[in-house]
Amino acid sequence: MGVIERNNVHVRGSADRTMVFAHGFGCDQNMWRFVEPAFEGEFRTVLFDHVGAGASDLKAYDKTKYSTLEGYADDVVEIGGELGLKDAVFVGHSVSSMIGVLAAQKAPGMFGKLVLVGPSARYIDDGDYVGGFSEQQIEELLQFLEANHMGWSAQMAPAIMGNPDRPELGEELTNSFCRTDPDIAKAFARVTFKSDNRGDLAGVEIPTLILQCSEDIIASKEVGEFVHRGIPDSEIIILEATGHCPNLSAPDEVIAAMRTFV
Amino acid sequence: MPGPRIDDFEDMFENSPCGYITLGVNGRIARVNKTLLEWIGRSADEMIGKRFSDFLNMAGRIFYETHIAPLLRMQGFFNEFAIDMMAAGGEPMQMICNALEGRDDAGKPLFTRLALLKATDRRRYEQELLAAREAAKNSLANERETSELREQFIAVLGHDLRNPLASISAGARILGRDAKTEKEHQVVAMLQTTVTRMAELIDNVLDFARGRLGGGITLDRNARKPLEPVLHQVIDELRLSSPGRQIEAEYAIDTPVDCDRTRIGQLVSNLVGNALSHGTASQPVRVRAETEDGLFKLSVANGGEPIPQAAMERLFEPFFRGEVRASRQGLGLGLHIASQIAKAHEGVLTVTSTPEETRFTFVMPLR
Repeated sequence: MGVIERNNVHVRGSADRTMVFAHGFGCDQNMWRFVEPAFEGEFRTVLFDHVGAGASDLKAYDKTKYSTLEGYADDVVEIGGELGLKDAVFVGHSVSSMIGVLAAQKAPGMFGKLVLVGPSARYIDDGDYVGGFSEQQIEELLQFLEANHMGWSAQMAPAIMGNPDRPELGEELTNSFCRTDPDIAKAFARVTFKSDNRGDLAGVEIPTLILQCSEDIIASKEVGEFVHRGIPDSEIIILEATGHCPNLSAPDEVIAAMRTFV
Repeated sequence: MPGPRIDDFEDMFENSPCGYITLGVNGRIARVNKTLLEWIGRSADEMIGKRFSDFLNMAGRIFYETHIAPLLRMQGFFNEFAIDMMAAGGEPMQMICNALEGRDDAGKPLFTRLALLKATDRRRYEQELLAAREAAKNSLANERETSELREQFIAVLGHDLRNPLASISAGARILGRDAKTEKEHQVVAMLQTTVTRMAELIDNVLDFARGRLGGGITLDRNARKPLEPVLHQVIDELRLSSPGRQIEAEYAIDTPVDCDRTRIGQLVSNLVGNALSHGTASQPVRVRAETEDGLFKLSVANGGEPIPQAAMERLFEPFFRGEVRASRQGLGLGLHIASQIAKAHEGVLTVTSTPEETRFTFVMPLR
């Protein structure tokens, strides 16, 4: 299985420039359903699912590889290589912001601009650094994930995962956008919330836009500003939108902010 | 005193057997019903205007923001979400929550309705199931590890036990060449008998352990090589180790037998060994091997007391030992292994026992 199937990659349009959308922890590429169409035509758009999420190939899930964000960044670079990306715009939501930060440094030239929606370089507090969470709270989250299977059932998985060419099969099922194998969900939560990418910010050499929600308990304003200070050529826009998913709750505001930048 | 009317919808909302929360388009709480307020010991003033996730524990908040809120926007509803609401005293209250997004004609969200049910017992039950599954998983992993260690141990043990036995056997052979007196010859013969017997015991023990803990008896079938010489050799060895006893053998093998020759040799050795132990010394042990009607048949018969009915049923069970004189007392694995070898060849091992004779018969298809 190639990288296109592995990551359930969807390419739309055929403009000169490409915009890659990466989803965060929780759901899949559908997170971009209200934002991506606005850029079709002007850009060739690329949507994909991280391995373990959405309609990606679960058999490709390798515990060791995906125990760090590096593993996910390698996949982004692989997708970019397969599509021959140069000077593309990478739009990452939540944890995919840091995946983009890593990917941009792994493959110089592949991405020309970064858009980070609700980024955090580290979720757990550390001395003076305020990430917003304690180690204990993240452990509780991991436990909590076990209580919410999101309708996951091992029996249903083959129907969802075995038909990448017929995604409607999966979409008809409840909660399919956020459905994940509980073990993978837990592992992804662990790598997401336990990562520390503060040291990777300074290495970003391309223009970067940070979209920060006004009230986001996952990535607070302080956390967003920390990322802004860390990335040399970056600007930050504080959205009126609240919550952690402005791409769903306030797509128009997100689109407008992105237009000013790209 | 008039109570609430059956069609009083206001009362149905406030005093419903489940909790209700309505969120405005900004995601903030617009209304909470009385039932929920009572459950969590809070007032409406405390809750209205706040975000729903403000009343969840941290894990629930993260989950709400990363799963529930996006799903509501994408599919318009969410069912069976397990959450812990924080009651006024700070204690968590387990609930199951369904949510529905109200939309206008253009699909824009107008509000979100949440219905909550207390689920303390259900959640405890689920947690116990999860814990039990986790425990089962761990104990299975432990068992696997132990079983692997055991298999390695058996392999090493087998090797280490056979080596010294080979030295004893070689030593006895050397001594035998120079033996002069009758007594010396007797001692050497006794040594050889013991070595043969010991080797059988080791083989049986290892096979049994492997069969039980590993993948059963494995066969190395070969139809091209003749079986008869192997049987000759096994019986000759048994004759040597039991000098006072008579073993008569008849062969009528005229079709190649697709079998594991070493295993069939072991089967014969076990059956004849058993006949020598239990049969009367005054009558010969009779072995017959033949191919007939697409079958390979091998029988071993001896005279003497018949096997008691009660013992017949348990003969092929491991560690079964009949009444036998102490010097021939084994582990009780010989017949069990023989029956396992028969099974591995898709054959059967049966027994008949009368005052005239006791006969074990192995039959396998020739394929």
